[in-house]
Amino acid sequence: MPRWCTYEVPVDSGLFSPVGLQPTAVFRLAFNGAGQWLGRNAISHRRLVSEHKTGFVIWSASFISDRPVSFFDADCLEMRVMGRVCGDGTQFACEGQVRGSFGTAAHVQATCVPLRLDGDAALSGVPARLCPEVMASFLPDEIEALPHRSPVPGLRAVVAREGTLLARHETQFTIHRHQCEVADQWFWPEAASLASGGREDLISAVADSVPTLRHALGTTVRRLDLLFNRPFFLFDQGVVVSTAHQWKGRLVFIHELVGTEDDQARALAIEQFAAAGASWN
Amino acid sequence: MKVQVNGALLRFTDYRRVITIAAPTVEAALTALADQYQPLRKVLFDREGKVRATHRIFLNGAPLERDELGSPAGDADSVDLLLAISGG
Repeated sequence: MPRWCTYEVPVDSGLFSPVGLQPTAVFRLAFNGAGQWLGRNAISHRRLVSEHKTGFVIWSASFISDRPVSFFDADCLEMRVMGRVCGDGTQFACEGQVRGSFGTAAHVQATCVPLRLDGDAALSGVPARLCPEVMASFLPDEIEALPHRSPVPGLRAVVAREGTLLARHETQFTIHRHQCEVADQWFWPEAASLASGGREDLISAVADSVPTLRHALGTTVRRLDLLFNRPFFLFDQGVVVSTAHQWKGRLVFIHELVGTEDDQARALAIEQFAAAGASWN
Repeated sequence: MKVQVNGALLRFTDYRRVITIAAPTVEAALTALADQYQPLRKVLFDREGKVRATHRIFLNGAPLERDELGSPAGDADSVDLLLAISGG
């Protein structure tokens, strides 16, 4: 049986917006939980970096809302996190659940690629399999031969093909240090913040002509999928290229996070909302 | 030539983004840059004095392979230095 790490998180108002859990906050909790899982069951993240010269870079992440939850529903949330290795050691994946007396509020999933660090102060590295010593700390049930696959490329293609394009907008940004982690690259949950900011700017810009989009300001995101190509670093500039689509009773926002310098999409985010009057299924 | 330092490397150049270096080749410019900013030396070069594989180097926007770092470069040229990937 895979091992789970379960603990309580006191609720604070920053975990929520008026419409529900903040995906960025949940991703941060899940990443922290993955670190707890590693520390309890394998090796602490700090020792992994400093002693085994192994770091992680995010590759994909998902947030799925099971039910709307508000700040006023509970004093504490329960986090359950489980870690596993996929792709014969080429990925480390964690799954998380945010729960309370009301049931499960959200599921999260994040998959990282291990890096063999070069040993310099910039924590530079190249993708590599987890070393045998670290692999040995995982139970057989926590090791999968197949790699995790991101749903993002397929979902993007089907929405573009079958959905109706409603609007497009661009939002510029600069990565500042409060958005970064220890290697001066963006802390990956920021991608969720930048995507949601792109959506809010898009809706603000076009809602008078496409009023149905306002629904995506007043309801919680039901599903958010992220796929990462390359990180943004300190002071990198970029633009969120957002498109809004109607697809199967859903409002879908596709966000490309493009580096200004190289004009390359470094991450892709897809937010899904139930359209006004539609049920989520 | 002008060497542009990006992102995760900025803290090793006292947050100076564009640094003018007088050198005949890209490799010589990187060595001079590391002389000028000592904390950058161990980040940029490995123990054998070779540029680490984790860095990407561009001359006037074109990527340079490791065996092309001896390319001549002059005052009008621009070198971009960036870290491809890092991880904590």
